[in-house]
This record gives sequence, C-alpha cells and structure tokens, in this order.
Amino acid sequence: MDKRAVADLALAAASIGFWALVYAAARLLTRPASPAPAPATMELGAEPPALVSLLVNRWTLTEDAAESTLLDLAARKFFELRQPGNDPLETTVHVPAAAPDSSGLRAYEKQVLDRVRGLAVNGVVPLSALTFRDQGQAKSWNKQLRAAVVADARAAGLSRRRFGPAVTSMLGLAAIIAAVGVGVAAMRYGFRDPGGDDDNPGLAAGIVTFALLGAAGGRSPGERHTPAGRSAAARWLGVRDWLRGHEQFAELPPAAVAVWDRYLGYGAAVGATHLASAILDLDMGDRRLVWSSYGDTWHRVRVRYPSFWPRYGRTLPILLLRAAAYAVVGGLLFHVLGWPTAQLAADRPGRIMDLIADGASLLSLLLLFLGGYTLLRSLIDLATVRTITGEVLWQETWRSTNGSEDKPSRPWLHHLAIDDGSDDRTTAWGLPSEWSDRCQDGDTVTIRVRPWSRRIGELTVVGQGRSRRLVETVTSDDTGNLALEMLTPAAAEPELFTDDEVSQLLGRPVTASPLPLTGVQYSPAEGGGPLLLVQSAGGLPGRVAWRANSRGQELPGIADGAFVSGYRAALRRGDTTVVLTLLGPGRDRRDYLPWLLSQAATRT
Amino acid sequence: MSTALALVGGLICLLVVLIIVWGVVAYNRLVRLRNQVDASWAQIDVQLKRRYDLIPNLVETVKGYAAHERGTLEAVVAARGSAINAAQAPGVGDRAAAEGLLTQTLGRLFALAEAYPDLKANENFRALQAELGNTEDKIAYARQFYNSAVQTFNTAVQSVPTNLIAGLGGFRARDFFEATGGERGPVQVRF
Repeated sequence: MDKRAVADLALAAASIGFWALVYAAARLLTRPASPAPAPATMELGAEPPALVSLLVNRWTLTEDAAESTLLDLAARKFFELRQPGNDPLETTVHVPAAAPDSSGLRAYEKQVLDRVRGLAVNGVVPLSALTFRDQGQAKSWNKQLRAAVVADARAAGLSRRRFGPAVTSMLGLAAIIAAVGVGVAAMRYGFRDPGGDDDNPGLAAGIVTFALLGAAGGRSPGERHTPAGRSAAARWLGVRDWLRGHEQFAELPPAAVAVWDRYLGYGAAVGATHLASAILDLDMGDRRLVWSSYGDTWHRVRVRYPSFWPRYGRTLPILLLRAAAYAVVGGLLFHVLGWPTAQLAADRPGRIMDLIADGASLLSLLLLFLGGYTLLRSLIDLATVRTITGEVLWQETWRSTNGSEDKPSRPWLHHLAIDDGSDDRTTAWGLPSEWSDRCQDGDTVTIRVRPWSRRIGELTVVGQGRSRRLVETVTSDDTGNLALEMLTPAAAEPELFTDDEVSQLLGRPVTASPLPLTGVQYSPAEGGGPLLLVQSAGGLPGRVAWRANSRGQELPGIADGAFVSGYRAALRRGDTTVVLTLLGPGRDRRDYLPWLLSQAATRT
Repeated sequence: MSTALALVGGLICLLVVLIIVWGVVAYNRLVRLRNQVDASWAQIDVQLKRRYDLIPNLVETVKGYAAHERGTLEAVVAARGSAINAAQAPGVGDRAAAEGLLTQTLGRLFALAEAYPDLKANENFRALQAELGNTEDKIAYARQFYNSAVQTFNTAVQSVPTNLIAGLGGFRARDFFEATGGERGPVQVRF
C-alpha cells in the first residue's frame, strides 16, 4: 500500500475518531447524576412511585415502575390485594364495585388500573395473571408506560433529555466534520485510482458517513437529571435507606399493603421490597403455568409443549407417506441385508456375525412394525377427530423451515395451548402457522383436532378475549406507520345508510358525498355545511379511531362495543370501527345516535 | 508427625479466625439493628412532640366556642402533661400508656366538637384537626416501623448463637410500643 493511500486511510480514521471522541465526551458530560442520599427518613414526598423509581435508578426506568404503581393503586383503594393462605403467590386482586374516582390518575396509573380492571372476571383476577402471554404486547404495553412516566417526570421538572438541543447540534456538527474528512479521503483515493470509473466516491462516502454518524448521534441515550430532580432523588434515596434498614420490610408480601399503605409501593419503587417485587410481574408470564378464566373462574393450567415425536403436528398425507417409507425400507433391509447376513452367520458361526445378523433382522422388523403402527394409528387418528372448545392460553412458533441467505426461515407450525375446563393440565396442539393470526390469547375457540398427531384441522373463534381490548393501544411504533396507512387509499365501502334514512332522521332532505378517506358526509340537499359524518376504518386507523372514541356512555349489546359521547358515537365490530359525528344543525338529533349505531352494527 | 501437628494446628487457627470473623459480623449486625431501633424511636418521638405542640392551640380554639366543657378540656391538658412527663422516663410501656390516654381524650374532644357547628366550621379548628389527623397517621406508621425494628432486633438478640454475642456486648431485648385503650378495642361496625 503506498504512502498516500495510508494517509487517506488515516484521515478517514481520524475523522471518525474525532466524532467518536465528541460523542464520548457528550455522554460523559451528560451522564445522569448519582446524588448522595439525604439522611434516612420515613417522610414520603409528593412524587408518585413510578417517578421515584426513575429517580433512584439514575434516571433509568425498570420494571419497578409498573409494579410499584400497582401497589400504590392498591394502597389508594382502587383495588384490594388479598392473600388467602401462606403463599403470597396465591394473592388475588379484587376490584370493588364502587371504586374511587379515577379521573385524576396519571396516564401510567390509569394504564395499570385498566389492565387490572380489564382482566378481572367478576371483579377478581389473580395477581400473577396480570402477566402477558405475547412478547409484542408486553413490550408495547411497557414501552407505553415508560413513555408516560418519562413525560410526567419531564413535566414535573425532574428529568430532561440526556442529549439536549445544544449537544445534538454539536454532534451534528461533528458528524459533518467527520463526513467531510471521510469524503475528502475517499475523493483523493478516487482521483488516484487509475482503474476507477469517472464517478468519484468522495461525495457518496461523505453522505453515507454523515447519515450513519447522524443516526448514531440522534439515538436517544435516555434521560438525565435536572436540579429539582437531583434534589428529589437525594431525598428519596434517604427514604430508601430508611426502608432498607428495616429487614422485615424486604420480606413483606404484596397483601401487606393493607397494613403498610403507600409505604409498600414506595418500597417497591426504591427496591426495598424483595418478596413483593419478586411476586409482582407485569411482563411476560410463564408459558408452562398459565392462568385461565374459562368458565368465569380463574384457575391455573399446567401446559406441556410436545416436541419430541416426529408425528406431532403432521398432516395425514405426511404420516401415511412416512408409514410407507418405514415399511419399504424395513422390507428392503430384511430382504437385501437381513436374510443373507443370517445365511452368512449360519455358514460361518461366530459371535460377531451372529450379532450383525440379529441386529439387521431386528432393525428391519422394527421398521416394518413402525410402518404398520404409524399407518394404523394414522387411520385411527382420522377416525377419532375431536371437537374442543376452550380458551386460548398460549400461542407460539413451534417449527420453522430452514432458512438460507436467499430464503429466510418461515414458521409452518405453531403451538396452541387451549384450556377446555376439564383438567388443570393440557398439552399444546399443532396449529398450521397460516392460521396463527386468527386468534389471540384469551379468545374462546372451537377446534377440530386429531389427538394422536395433535394437529388442528379447523379453528373457529367463538368469542374474543379480554386481552384484545387491553392491547388496542397506540404506541409510538404504531404512530410511525400510521401516516403511511392513512395515505393508502382504502377500498371503497358500501354506504351504511341510505339518503332517505338520513333525511328522515335529520328531518330534512340530504345528499351523500364521499369523504377524501373512508367515509361519507351528508349535507342538506338545498346546500349548506355537512350535518352528519359517517366514517369507517379497519386495521391500525380503525384501532386509533376506536381508542379516540371509545369513551362516554357505553351502549351494551351493540356490536363488540359502542359508545356515545356528546355529538359523536362509535362502534367496533371485529377489526372495523365506525364513527358517527353530528355537525351544525344536525346536532339537534343527538338522541338518535344510539339508533344509528344499532343500524350501523347490523350492516357492518 | 510434625506435618500432622502442623495440619491440626493450622485447622485450629483457621477455626479460630472463622469464629472471630463471625463474631465481628454478628456484633456489627446487632449494632446496626439497635441503631435502627433507636432511629425508629426517634421518628415516633418527633411525631409525638409535634402532637404536644398542636394541642394547646386546639384547646384554646375549642375554649372559644365551648368554654363550659371544662372537664374534657382539662382532661386533654392533663393527658398531655402526663405524656410529656412519661417522655422523660426511660420505659416504653409507660409512655405508650400515656400516649394512649392522650389519644383517647383527643378523641373525646373531637366528638364534643360535633355538638358545636360554629366550632366545626372554624377554619383554625379544621386546620388543627387535619394536622392532628395527619400526625396521628404518621405516629401509626412510625410505630409500625419501630415495632418492626424491635422485632428484628429482639429475634437477633434471643436467637442461638447470636445471643452469645448479644450477652457479651450488652444488647438487651427492647419493648414494643403497643397500642393501648381505644386503639386496641374491638372494631365497631356501623350500619
């Protein structure tokens, strides 16, 4: 390598190194404070436990935030924790019929309360049933909670972005300088390369470098302290020292909140409650021991996930093919290898030859038996198809195709664990992966299965589970894709109401005209502003619309859910949300919104 | 022979070192637990003193509306005096009894206020009532912490083999700050 190339390489490396140095300095200078604890005290402050968890963990949120919020809500009588025996794992959450007003709760407190209320069956849910059964849902829920806690901490002046505008600008400037350095190095190299084409790589190298470094510098490294946050953290560290000084406090179960009130929640927030924190969990649950509410009573079901025998999850043709293959190979082995070897052994008696002859015969007989057995059991399996109705406990990928560079791995079989209420133990079934989107955990499904191969032949969802309602929240990831989905033209949908129906309802002749996105607006025939908007959406826009409009007075019995709030009404059927909005003089007809919803429900 | 003796001697030395290390660890734990008991007691003390300070204002306020309820007012003042005197004595039991009596007389005073709507409406009285209620809550929590610390300390002092170190170090079991009088009475259910 000539000296000039080395110099170019050194320039590029120095440029990147310069940016790395600036980035490291930025991280060093903005690292969250580690304040010295104030004197140990039992005086609690005004911050809620989730914020306290952020402060005492050096502005990093842990799972303690959600758990301590749960305990704090129990201390504030939004629900009650009861431990019937000596085992804290048997603790149950009881939602009172007349709960305190929750309108003043913070977003993350409301989120935790909604999860408890949403999962409660007849006002009761086991504490350990609050866990999630889907990794995506768990992540989304916790991400939303963390975002809400951070937003609250910022609003309270206790926390701020670790990289503020000044640091971000400085990193951007450093990225530009580094990109220029790399670009110049690449340009100099490009000019000297005699075999190179006419396009100099300098500009491209600079742009790529800037994009990469800009992306790296733009990633949020978390939160850091503010002066107020630092002082609050020191105070709460004093509370932590006080609570940790009491050895018994670490061993208190969650139900001890009845005696210790808010101290237990704050103890969980500062990491002083080992037992309560170990029992509380709002993340992924145990796939082998799952709570089921099938039959309207909570019970634990032990789930086994079969994986050893090759027959599991296989289709009938595959099983028959396999039976035939066993029989053919066994027969061939017996005729081609087994018999002559036996003859040879007879001609030349000896222990080794005897052993080989016996082994070959045994193997061929075994294969023949296996073929026959597989054939017989497959036929019996076909004749003993069962229909089972139960609650979906767990669903996960079981088997996938072998992936390669060109062809990524693709799942073809899922485990589906179902509780039919007959036993506290169950074995997961094999669900073809193309059906895995049809149901979610908590749904009630009817399946037709072959018991020996454990393969599901048919799956019908007969009831939606509570967890579906609980996960219909919009995350930042969702909102990232929202614009794209909204820009995608929706398929034309049939009008829910005729002009005559709406005219009759509004007391004046109207004409319908389509809205730019999915929906119709009804305006007076004689001219004027719109009187009624009817919008319908599915998928993510539908979820967003439902989340925004599922408030006010609930109207039971209409579709999967319906609400009226002011001059707006919404219903949800399956994946579709319909929103009706009265405008202008049309608002006089607010009393007719429930009727309109019920009509829309029959036509959606 | 000399090797065997050296081995036995080494083992004995190791055993002695281990016992000394355990003794130091156990002693330090006892000191830590005793300090925790003292700190918890100090928290109770702070709240009780806060209550003593609030009572004269309360009595003066009530006098302005119900001066003829002298018996109740004097009982509160006397109970406060007894509690302050008990605070000077070393025993936890006597103090707990005196504080229990003060709590009871304060309860009677607030019950009496129900009969005087003007007193109930007085802002100063309401503020004092809220402040005393808040202090009572803090006393209750401080007592819980104190009793929890005492229980842990007493368990350590009385358990084998830590009791050997406790005996040598002069650690003695402490008394619980127990609720007295009305606080221990049966819960009354109102329909």
